Amino acid sequence: MKFTFKSSFTILLTISSIFLVFLLNEEGEIPILFNLLTFAGIYGLAAIGLNVHFGLTGLLNFGHAAFMGLGAYVTVLLIPHAAGREGVVVTTGLPFFLALLIGIISAALFGLLLGLPAIRLRGDYLAIVTIAAAEIFRLLVRDLESVTGGVYGIINFSNSLQQYRSGFIDNFASSNELNPSQIWIAFLSWTSIILVLLLLRRLTNSPWGRALRAVREDEDAVRALGKNAVWLKLQSFMLGAGIAGLSGVLLAFNYGTIQVSTFVPILTFYVWAIMILGGVGSLTGPIFGSIIFWVIISETTGIAQLIFENANGQQIAGVRFVLVGLLIMLLMIFRPSGLMGKKEELLLDVK
Amino acid sequence: MIEQLGNGLLLGIIIAVASVALSLLYGVTRIVNFAHGEIIALGAIATLFLSSPVDSRVIFLDRFSPLGNNFYISVVISVILCGLLGGILEFFLFRPLRKAEVGNIAVLVVTIGLSLFLRHIYLLFNAKPQNFPLELQRRETYLFFDMTPRNFRVLILGIFVMVLIGLFLNYTRIGKAMRAVRDSNDLASVSGINSDNIILFTWISSSMLAGLAGVFQATINDVRYNMGFLILLLIFAGTVLGGIGTSFGAMVGGFIIGIVVNVSVGLPFMEGHTEAKNAVALAIMILILLFRPQGIFGEKERVS
Repeated sequence: MKFTFKSSFTILLTISSIFLVFLLNEEGEIPILFNLLTFAGIYGLAAIGLNVHFGLTGLLNFGHAAFMGLGAYVTVLLIPHAAGREGVVVTTGLPFFLALLIGIISAALFGLLLGLPAIRLRGDYLAIVTIAAAEIFRLLVRDLESVTGGVYGIINFSNSLQQYRSGFIDNFASSNELNPSQIWIAFLSWTSIILVLLLLRRLTNSPWGRALRAVREDEDAVRALGKNAVWLKLQSFMLGAGIAGLSGVLLAFNYGTIQVSTFVPILTFYVWAIMILGGVGSLTGPIFGSIIFWVIISETTGIAQLIFENANGQQIAGVRFVLVGLLIMLLMIFRPSGLMGKKEELLLDVK
Repeated sequence: MIEQLGNGLLLGIIIAVASVALSLLYGVTRIVNFAHGEIIALGAIATLFLSSPVDSRVIFLDRFSPLGNNFYISVVISVILCGLLGGILEFFLFRPLRKAEVGNIAVLVVTIGLSLFLRHIYLLFNAKPQNFPLELQRRETYLFFDMTPRNFRVLILGIFVMVLIGLFLNYTRIGKAMRAVRDSNDLASVSGINSDNIILFTWISSSMLAGLAGVFQATINDVRYNMGFLILLLIFAGTVLGGIGTSFGAMVGGFIIGIVVNVSVGLPFMEGHTEAKNAVALAIMILILLFRPQGIFGEKERVS
């Protein structure tokens, strides 16, 4: 990341939005801040994955929630857990990191499975196919109660990951009166972001990354140069799906339970809003987009209280989604490149 | 099976009317409108609001209506309101975007934002599922379908509306102009058709049809803030199955999807899995897009 005007402005905006948390909350700022940083890390990671699809390759993926969900479900089902209405306890399982690896690979393979036929479709058709596939995934997970716990979800799996929690996390959490397991997830998600970004920076600056951008700009030209454009797109689809799978796992461990209602289309739209806000096609953009987005989200309660006296949960959720919808619309109309994106790198028309 | 066929016909008529509206809009403007479901919901919510007794607080507002609470008048006003919303959206949002030559994908994302926005505005007003203030009816047998007289009337009215759309598109001047703009915007402009007006008219008529579909949906089931979003993917499925951009195709596709969703409940492998019935329709849509992207009745077009 070069320190241009754009990136300096973005960093400044991000820092001031964090200050906003301190300004708007009279007590409990530190837990609020760490809570939102945890979510920002997890969703930022998902947005980085989506950016590989849309920003880098120009694939209109509206089924991101399913990739996240698949990674989460596969990982959690492979480790000790309790699932379903009766809470059937499974005490044996793989070591966490092996399960995680399998989870990420399954998300990537799901990307391949969906991408193999669908990747040839035009942008708007791909959007419909991916959102429909994500709904099918959700309906099946909900339906296969004997495996996935259905609407009752899966619980008691956190320990597989929390047992690796290092001492300094505990010390840090206890000295600030924070929830150590959440801080551990926050730590892991921001570490993952750094690792994924380092990986992506290498990849995008390689011949492979340039070929991907070329696919976005002019697929026929790429074909004429003897590259396999479809295979390149599939690779990008798998890579982004795998990153989404990782973020889904972190999301599940952050909640400590896994619910089918987590992986609804709204989740996909959240990730889209973050990606657009941060900047389509920018590697680091989604991180800043995610922090600013979650500051807005965490302050919606206050905004809802301004509109309604004693706003109830439903009204707060309503205000929150109204804001997210408005954010998506306004950004797409007035600043489709977001904070960090480059306008000339945007794919905005159906090719 | 027969009972499910009756339910399938009812869902089919809702989806068929909504699919025709979506397909018409896509044909003329090339917009994949994810906010279509919210216009559907507006039709139902407005009808609920206007037809409820005066002192009831069905939504956040106190009910008021100078025209009384006659159900049919409420439906007409609501459908007109939906048309008005469509017109406003075109005039203040989508026309400026078109003039600024914003790409299709950007507009698609805008409609997704719009959908989230509108849907949760409704949530702020009306969170609980509610029924229209109509008396309960007993099911009766028509030919060999069991349904309530009211639902039967919905079915007949829906078929009537669709015949009307067909006649309108094929025989009136403005219908022909819509088809001309659909086939080629430039050629239509050259032959003296004001495509801006046609697009505005398409938005209004598409939204009115969507509102009507919402009234149907709420009459048969109930009014929910997210009722449009819940069937939006089925509407996409109906549209795609019949051929996106076609009108007749969307009608047939919508009917097939409605029937498939309900009849699939009776299939042997679906036993005990009724919750997943929508998945069957969505899977059909994906298969159609992969193997015959122009749908049953669409003309071949580059989709890859």
